[in-house]
Amino acid sequence: MITHIFVAVAVLTISAIVFGIILGYAADKFKVEGNPIIDQVEALLPQTQCGQCGYPGCRPYAEAIANGDKVNKCPPGGTATMEKLAELMGVDPEPLDQVAQEAVKKVAYIREDECIGCTKCIQACPVDAILGAGKLMHTVIAKDCTGCDLCVEPCPVDCIDMLPVETTLKNWDWKLNAIPVTLVSESLEER
Amino acid sequence: MLTLLEQLDKGSLWQSPGGIHPPELKQLSNQQAIGRLPLAKQFVVPIPQVGEQARLLVEVGQTVLKGQVLTEGTGFIYLPVHAPTSGTVTAIKAVASNHASGLPVLSCIIDADGYDNWCDLITSDPAALSNDDIITKIKQAGIAGMGGAAFPTHIKLNTASEIDLVIINGVECEPYITSDDRLMREYSNEILKGIEIIHRLLGPQRIIIAIEDNKPEAAQAMQQAIHLSKLPANSTRVTVIPTKYPSGGEKQLIQIITGKEVPSGCLPSQLGIVVQNVGTAFAIQDAIYSGKPLIERVVTFTGKNIHQPGNYWLPIGTPVAAALELVDFRPSTTQKLIIGGPMMGYAIHDPYVPVLKGTNCVLAPSNEEISPDSDEKACIRCGECAIACPALLLPQQLFWHAKAQEYDKAASFNLQDCIECGCCSYVCPSDIPLVEYYRIAKSALRVEAEEKVLAEQAKLRFEARLQRLEDEKLAREAKAKEAAEKRQANMKSSDKDAVAAAMARIAAKKAAQSNEANLQSIVKHDANDSTGVDKKSAVSAAIARAKAKKAAQSAEQFSIENNATQTPSNTHNPSDSVVEGGISQQNLIAAAVARAKAKKAAQNNQAITSDEAVNGLADSSTSDTDPSLNDKKAKVAAAIAKAKAKKLQQTEIASDSADTEPNEDNSITASANGAMAKKTIADDNTDPAEQDKKARIAAAVAKAKAKKLQQVETSNVESQLSSSSITLEQTPNLDSAVLDKKAKIAAAVAKAKAKKLAQQAEKKD
Amino acid sequence: MAFKIASSPHVGSTLQTAKVMQRVALCLLPGIATQLYFFGFGTLLQIAIAVITAYAAEAAILSLRNRPIKSTLADNSALVTALLLAIAIPPLAPWWVVVIGTLFSIIIVKHLYGGLGNNLFNPAMAGYVLLLISFPVQMTDWVSPMSAAQQSVDLTYALNAVFNSASDILVIGHNLAIDGSTMATPLDTLKTDLSMGMTTHESLAKPIFSGMAGLGWFEVNLAFLIGGLIMLKLKIIRWQISFGILSALFICSSFGFLLNPDTHVSPMMHLFSGGTMLAAFFIATDPVTAATSHRGRIIFGVMIGVLIYVIRTFGGYPDAVAFAVLLANMCAPFIDHYVRPRTYGHRSGS
Repeated sequence: MITHIFVAVAVLTISAIVFGIILGYAADKFKVEGNPIIDQVEALLPQTQCGQCGYPGCRPYAEAIANGDKVNKCPPGGTATMEKLAELMGVDPEPLDQVAQEAVKKVAYIREDECIGCTKCIQACPVDAILGAGKLMHTVIAKDCTGCDLCVEPCPVDCIDMLPVETTLKNWDWKLNAIPVTLVSESLEER
Repeated sequence: MLTLLEQLDKGSLWQSPGGIHPPELKQLSNQQAIGRLPLAKQFVVPIPQVGEQARLLVEVGQTVLKGQVLTEGTGFIYLPVHAPTSGTVTAIKAVASNHASGLPVLSCIIDADGYDNWCDLITSDPAALSNDDIITKIKQAGIAGMGGAAFPTHIKLNTASEIDLVIINGVECEPYITSDDRLMREYSNEILKGIEIIHRLLGPQRIIIAIEDNKPEAAQAMQQAIHLSKLPANSTRVTVIPTKYPSGGEKQLIQIITGKEVPSGCLPSQLGIVVQNVGTAFAIQDAIYSGKPLIERVVTFTGKNIHQPGNYWLPIGTPVAAALELVDFRPSTTQKLIIGGPMMGYAIHDPYVPVLKGTNCVLAPSNEEISPDSDEKACIRCGECAIACPALLLPQQLFWHAKAQEYDKAASFNLQDCIECGCCSYVCPSDIPLVEYYRIAKSALRVEAEEKVLAEQAKLRFEARLQRLEDEKLAREAKAKEAAEKRQANMKSSDKDAVAAAMARIAAKKAAQSNEANLQSIVKHDANDSTGVDKKSAVSAAIARAKAKKAAQSAEQFSIENNATQTPSNTHNPSDSVVEGGISQQNLIAAAVARAKAKKAAQNNQAITSDEAVNGLADSSTSDTDPSLNDKKAKVAAAIAKAKAKKLQQTEIASDSADTEPNEDNSITASANGAMAKKTIADDNTDPAEQDKKARIAAAVAKAKAKKLQQVETSNVESQLSSSSITLEQTPNLDSAVLDKKAKIAAAVAKAKAKKLAQQAEKKD
Repeated sequence: MAFKIASSPHVGSTLQTAKVMQRVALCLLPGIATQLYFFGFGTLLQIAIAVITAYAAEAAILSLRNRPIKSTLADNSALVTALLLAIAIPPLAPWWVVVIGTLFSIIIVKHLYGGLGNNLFNPAMAGYVLLLISFPVQMTDWVSPMSAAQQSVDLTYALNAVFNSASDILVIGHNLAIDGSTMATPLDTLKTDLSMGMTTHESLAKPIFSGMAGLGWFEVNLAFLIGGLIMLKLKIIRWQISFGILSALFICSSFGFLLNPDTHVSPMMHLFSGGTMLAAFFIATDPVTAATSHRGRIIFGVMIGVLIYVIRTFGGYPDAVAFAVLLANMCAPFIDHYVRPRTYGHRSGS
């Protein structure tokens, strides 16, 4: 009788050791470097580096999300980004905590006549998309502008506008219903 | 097992999956020969778009000749555009484009003079030309694919791949369209000449002219032309293929003729195959033999609401509306006007769009022919679309995901391989506009991909910037350290220097902190310096300190964000307040103190290497009167001081150096200038010009802010303007005219702000 | 002047959903007529009740869902569902049976899943299964074929049977049983006999099995086969699903029959009794709940065929069409996910 107990204890011990070794080996062999979730989160963020989330850039916010911060702090990404983040993080989607920007993508535009060349916007731009030197007129490199809005506030003479990106034949989105149409009969009557 | 060439020679055909058989309705327009319509009065020639690196060669008012080149460019895919007739360029503006979106594009508007005069044409014999010359000529003629896509032809003919087979596409599978049909019937010899040139350029083993079996006349004409041509025997044949839509699609035609599939995302040339439209072959012939650029093409006008249907030669750039008037177009109330065929053509809402190189048909159907759009109903997953799809897609799945806006899932069902032929929509029993969904999904995917690239770029730039800032910070720290060491070395030379160095260190330290502290330190050693001079001056210094503190606080209240503007206000106020003391003796002392302060500041400038500190002090010296605008009191005080100083000058002829100065403002200015000059020597990278600019900025900002605070009227603004220009004139070594201008601009800005404020005030009222 | 715009293509074929459904209903007619001939007017009553209930239910739920009522009713999908359910129900089943079944089909199976095009299960079959599980007695009491009962079930008789008060139903059912005018279906009889230890030969000797595959049932199935072939010709349905079902059922039953003729019936019996043909051409081919690709549809059909055979032979229920279809419905999204046609330009290698 007592031998049975010993056998059971022995078997369990041995198997525990064996599995422990296997687990230890696996943990070492298949070790995951870094925290991949941060990269995944960062890939979803719009990279405007606008700082509206309260973090200095998208990467820090991605890290914060990975550490459990809320997913609804990214106005440039809008609801779509928030939903993707919520799905990735396995949390419930929440409404954005700030009023989301309009869906229209915008870029900064400097009214060059009014620019006094103060370089403040250059310092504010997170992606170095403003070109210019002290005393000289500045301009925005439109293709690099993320539309983050950060240059508008520092401008002492308010010469920076956020303009929606113009629709051209190349980026037109085929939403035909958006084209205003008048019927022939109406326009004929006008004549 | 036969080789592919043998199969081709036999005329073997392969089955292309899917496809539909819509009513052809070609007899409407293919009954009579290609006609010619009277010349339109005005032409619209869209010029190459942004990104195509082109330059306009004409300007408004210039007269052009028919065939004259209008643009010049260097890009690889750039194609020149030519004047379709002789006349005058009356405008270069954005007008509605011949595109599904109808978005305006920049175009040359040419008013025809009616003479239709050709420019000089260079005719040539292809035998005398090298292949490169021919390619260049084709490019210069602006030849683009005439089948609809308008892809530049010279690129297709200049491929790096080895070409075994050229397919001449005369399929014209879209219902209604007959332009290629008529062209083949009437100009078969010319087309063959074009094919000869293609043969010479590409050297294929076989050339297949593919024609659908509903065009027997065209097939016969081409067959006869082959016998007359100079092409090598047995290298060219006409292959008649069964009528089915969309056999004319490039990928489908290749599959039917060779049985091969063009791999997804690849070009046919990678299979050694090039497909050219018959119209393109004709245009090549025209360009080489007669030197004519591509400025006209055959356009089918058809549909029951066009009462003279047929094919017509139309100059490219002819407004569709102008041509429609000539073919007896009678629109119905819900008229659709379709460019291209009913399957793939797009409806335009503005008829004043030009005929383009790829415009093969203008279709004006009656309501009986093309029923008004019916409402979309629920998909019953009948799978008819999958049966009709020539690309073997699952349209209902694509639709499902596209409608739910799950574009990535739609992409996983190979949405990108959709050729938008419209077969699925055609067979759909629920009237779902499937192709529209796919187009929207495709453009959304494209935007998404572009945004991803942009986001990646933004991230890189952001990281690069962070790195740069970090580097700069390190460099600055290293510099500061070096400077500190230098100062330490200097300290040993004399006690006085040691004190100065200590002060400098303090100043350097403070520079990083708030400018209030900065100010205090300066005032403090002002006081120290003046201790030995006079007791009274010490008292005045104390007063100055107190006042300065107060001023600093008030300045803080104004919350001017940058150091540059705060510093001057703080440093100036003490001198004003000293003046306020009203004692004439002290006035002089105060002037001396101010001078000493300026001197010290200059020393500090030498010592403090921090750029910000330099700028701050420089600003303080040049824009010293500006802060007076911060409060009215200060201004008044300044006026009083000036008056007193004048009085002083009259009554006392003191011997001090300060006496020669009319007032302390000027003295400060002068010494500050000295400081500036010294600093310029000390610090190479800050030139006086830049400092001036800074000063002006500071002036502008201060002005604007002051305005906001005081809520003054325009009269005040004017007074500020004058005072600011005076200030600036006081500053030596500057072009006063330039300054005036700048000051004016600044004043204008200030004015605008004032206006805004006034508006806001009004609103509040 | 401006013109109307729309996305290409600007033309479309004229065969629309409503027409498709209408043609399906028309192709059911030969089968319905045969059923009327052999089993009396009961089926007609069931059809009338089912159609009225279906339209009423659809209209009600559409108004609740704020969807267009008129245009949706006009798509005839409710009609087809009602017809299929009514055909599958015993002709003399009480009226409330078919009403419950139709309501369940239309409201729960179809509209609660999102309406036409979004339902996971075939509405008619889901309704049928609900009835079969809930009212097994009513659902298995079939009228005996006309010739076997030696009397026709005329209209008054049928009305009486279907609309008599609920308390009478058992009595009437009993009476009918005594009259010998109702009896189990051939498949049911066979099942019972086999479970009682009889061999197929002994069981098939019964009068109900006269003819090829059960009296009346063979003809009804034949009529549905004809209707189905017409649909194939009209390209309303495609051959893959029907072919899959019939070939799988044929192969499975042949195999069983060759192995052990004593306990397995002939392939003919399988193909032409019960609801085989109805399922193969009218029920399983419901595109909404079937797989969508060609290969997927063959797999879907084969799956139904095998399931029919397995459930008929080894399961507890005599006929298995409804269960087989529902099980295959469940697998359709799965099949669609894994069986995709190779897109043009996507070689299997690359």
